[in-house]
Amino acid sequence: MTAHFYLDGREIPFQPGQNVLEALLAMGRDRDVPYFCYHPALGSLGACRQCAVKLYPHDDKHPPRVMMACLLPASAGLQLVTAESDVRREHAAISELLMRNHPHDCPICDEGGQCHLQDMTVRAGHRLRHYENAKRTFRSQQLGPLIRQEMNRCITCYRCVRFYQDIAGGEDFGVFGSRDRVFFGRLHDGPLESPFAGNLAEVCPTGVFTDKVYHASYLRPWDLETAASICPHCNLGCNTAPGAARGRLRRVRQRHHPDINPYFLCDRGRYGFRHVVHRRRPWRHRLRSREIERDEALDRLTDLLRQGETGFLGSPRADVQDNLAWLALADAYGAPFAAFSDPWQEALAREILALPQAPSLRQLGEAERILILGQALEISPSLRLPVQAALRRGAQLTLASVLPTALDRYGELRRLRPDGYVDAAGDWCRALPSGKRGVILASADALGPAGVHVLRRLQEDLPPGTGVVVAHRAPNLGGAAFFATDGQSQRLREAIRVGRCRHLLALAADPLGEDGDAPFWRQRSSALRISLLDCLPTTTLEAAELQLPMAAVAEREGVFLNYEGRFQAFARVYRPAQYHPHWDPSRSTFPLPAGGMREELALWEPRDLAEALAQRGGRLESFHQRLEFYRHYLCPELPGPGDPGSFIPDALRARFRIGIVPVPHSGTGRWWLSAFHWYGDEAQARFAGELQSLAPVAGVRLAPGQTQAQAMLLTSRDGQTRRYPIVEVAGMAADVLALPPSDLSDLGYHPGERIDALEESAP
Amino acid sequence: MRLGLRAWVLGFWTTLRQLGRWPVTLSYPEEQPQIAPRWRGRPVLTRDPDGDERCVACELCSAVCPTHCIELEGDDRPDGRRYARAFRINFSRCIYCGLCEEACPTLAIQLLDEFAFGKERRADFVYPKEALLIDGPGKHPHYRYYDHAGVRIEAATAVPAAAAPLDPLDNRP
Repeated sequence: MTAHFYLDGREIPFQPGQNVLEALLAMGRDRDVPYFCYHPALGSLGACRQCAVKLYPHDDKHPPRVMMACLLPASAGLQLVTAESDVRREHAAISELLMRNHPHDCPICDEGGQCHLQDMTVRAGHRLRHYENAKRTFRSQQLGPLIRQEMNRCITCYRCVRFYQDIAGGEDFGVFGSRDRVFFGRLHDGPLESPFAGNLAEVCPTGVFTDKVYHASYLRPWDLETAASICPHCNLGCNTAPGAARGRLRRVRQRHHPDINPYFLCDRGRYGFRHVVHRRRPWRHRLRSREIERDEALDRLTDLLRQGETGFLGSPRADVQDNLAWLALADAYGAPFAAFSDPWQEALAREILALPQAPSLRQLGEAERILILGQALEISPSLRLPVQAALRRGAQLTLASVLPTALDRYGELRRLRPDGYVDAAGDWCRALPSGKRGVILASADALGPAGVHVLRRLQEDLPPGTGVVVAHRAPNLGGAAFFATDGQSQRLREAIRVGRCRHLLALAADPLGEDGDAPFWRQRSSALRISLLDCLPTTTLEAAELQLPMAAVAEREGVFLNYEGRFQAFARVYRPAQYHPHWDPSRSTFPLPAGGMREELALWEPRDLAEALAQRGGRLESFHQRLEFYRHYLCPELPGPGDPGSFIPDALRARFRIGIVPVPHSGTGRWWLSAFHWYGDEAQARFAGELQSLAPVAGVRLAPGQTQAQAMLLTSRDGQTRRYPIVEVAGMAADVLALPPSDLSDLGYHPGERIDALEESAP
Repeated sequence: MRLGLRAWVLGFWTTLRQLGRWPVTLSYPEEQPQIAPRWRGRPVLTRDPDGDERCVACELCSAVCPTHCIELEGDDRPDGRRYARAFRINFSRCIYCGLCEEACPTLAIQLLDEFAFGKERRADFVYPKEALLIDGPGKHPHYRYYDHAGVRIEAATAVPAAAAPLDPLDNRP
């Protein structure tokens, strides 16, 4: 029997600790009481005075009084009324005050149609403004390429600054002024620095902060189709709700998941989707840059497969079922398959999958001791919100990294060289008081396979409740690690090296670019023909002989396995389409109500392509057999889109704990190499223009005073020299060169290895 | 019986009453009918008194249209004004209900008196923006949306002193 209070005579159940407004919202009754400043993640403030209810006390001493529902703790038997005239008058009067300075620009405001203020003003019944003076105006600021500010619309609910400073830990945005000059913004114009700036558009109950990227291809939210999707930009697997209309993806918003991303999404997840409209994205089948028909491409591939010289390459960027289909097709043709083009990455993925189940982000927010190894928060920015939540609860933070990180001033700092991570983790584990919940957040690149292996050994000795979260940029790293158990990558490379494979059928992989070891593939690119199915204009795509257009994440269905080992399914949101002003009855497309037609572009879902190839090769039966077998073995029960997800069984996880122990090889050289990450750096987000305009300057990063040179010349594993301008970073560890992961891959080195460099002095 | 007689007389009276009147039939199209000012004919896009397009691409007309025959996409002009980059109405679906005119917050879309127009091909009924836009302000000669919106655009006239932008760093009471 749950406790109840009464609102207008109706029973409202509540949980202990809830306030009246929360209980009403939990019931889905957001129309009973209007509200502004309350937000489930930000809590109650009582600033807007809008959620008034009238309380009838049970004793005779106190008269009935009007109180704010968000500040009134729910208690059993509370008698509340909103249907009386004085409460209604209060709602309408507050609405009028809030609207006093609000411009009448709903028709040109992006928030129109999803505006809390619009809804609540209509709900509260305010129609006419009695105040006759001019409305106050501000000069709005330019806040960069992602967020647009129109300060005149502000109703001073303080949600933005509460989110930006308290939840996201941003420092470059605040509140200025007094009385009705209260202004929310930066001290000077300029892009917002926080990787969570995009949430301002969602947090703001009106149109002060709107999404600039959405604005560029704006359609009203009521026109957008949406479906449950999963963010493809790192291995956290945040839940998203992309919005598309008329054959174009227009925005991505967060979707509530209680354990992963309850309310917010990082900017990489929010704006990384723009890679689907990159101007060099492959839309058609191309053979040596000549456009060909789909059938011709299939015939050609079938011929190549029949010759029996094909190797199959999957990718941690493709989802579980697509990799399975690739594996089944490879099996049907008796060809080698690997999900990684780089054995180092493969070993890393295997070690990460072999870790015990990681804590969810909600559990991370309840941790009492946190160790951050490397730039984990830059690889997976959304890790930062639960860390900040834990810090607010009094958690102790230790940071061990080569480069300065965003949370440096919140914790105990340890600068180290790339070989020091394991020792730092060991020290922290030994110092962990018993009974405290500790969590290690590690950057996969910083630790490498050997480091993750040691971390697993360390964790075995720690008390239960301690977990390890390894951040990686590939959305389906765990799913690709299914196919990483016994050196498949090395075997595929061996087959190519000896010339047994002369054709590579790759799925969303970038071996020549940033998959980890470009020199190996560059050296063999003349003898190796590559057919690539991808939706990104990567280096490999340009070098590929046959280009096949692939559907991006929001354009296909699939399942990702996130860092916890949680399967999460995503649904197709839309199909890319092209508008033709005249309807052509010979096409199988209906005319649009408003004239013309919208023809869908033919993009491959990898499973369909694998099936089509198996059918043409006459191996459909064995393809289906193998596919069913693997699916039954690896993921017998997959969740549907929108489900909270299901975990891989521990028994299956244990099978990936095999005997191979990765050994670190650092080599020799003057400098240690480390990866430098920033929050927009990921294979797909790298093609999102707006996000990339915020990228930090390119170059090699090192501590100040290490060299007088202007630039560094580094030699790749295949003997090519690359020039990197020097960027000095204060507070960085000495003797370390930090490069973006794509540059490291281009050189063929991995983080934690050593390298010699030529210094280029000023002329 | 009396009721039947009454109806009979009334019926004849109605007919006979027309004897002394002019016929209402027009020999259309040689004779054009007088159209009432509130007639709901073909929708057009009007301009404000300055000659700028009134439409700000708010999409309310396409949302309210019961036959979904309006489709548009908005864009920003360099001076900050919003306009419809593409706007089309399919008149082979339009039922002239006038809901778009009612919904339009800027009085841009107006149903004028053109009531009969025929085409040889259905595709010709799809009117693009150039065909919809007329040169005048239509039925509302003085209305300018940006006078009421409370947002400044670069081209607008000087803002009255009371509404000058505030300086948030000014701490005077």
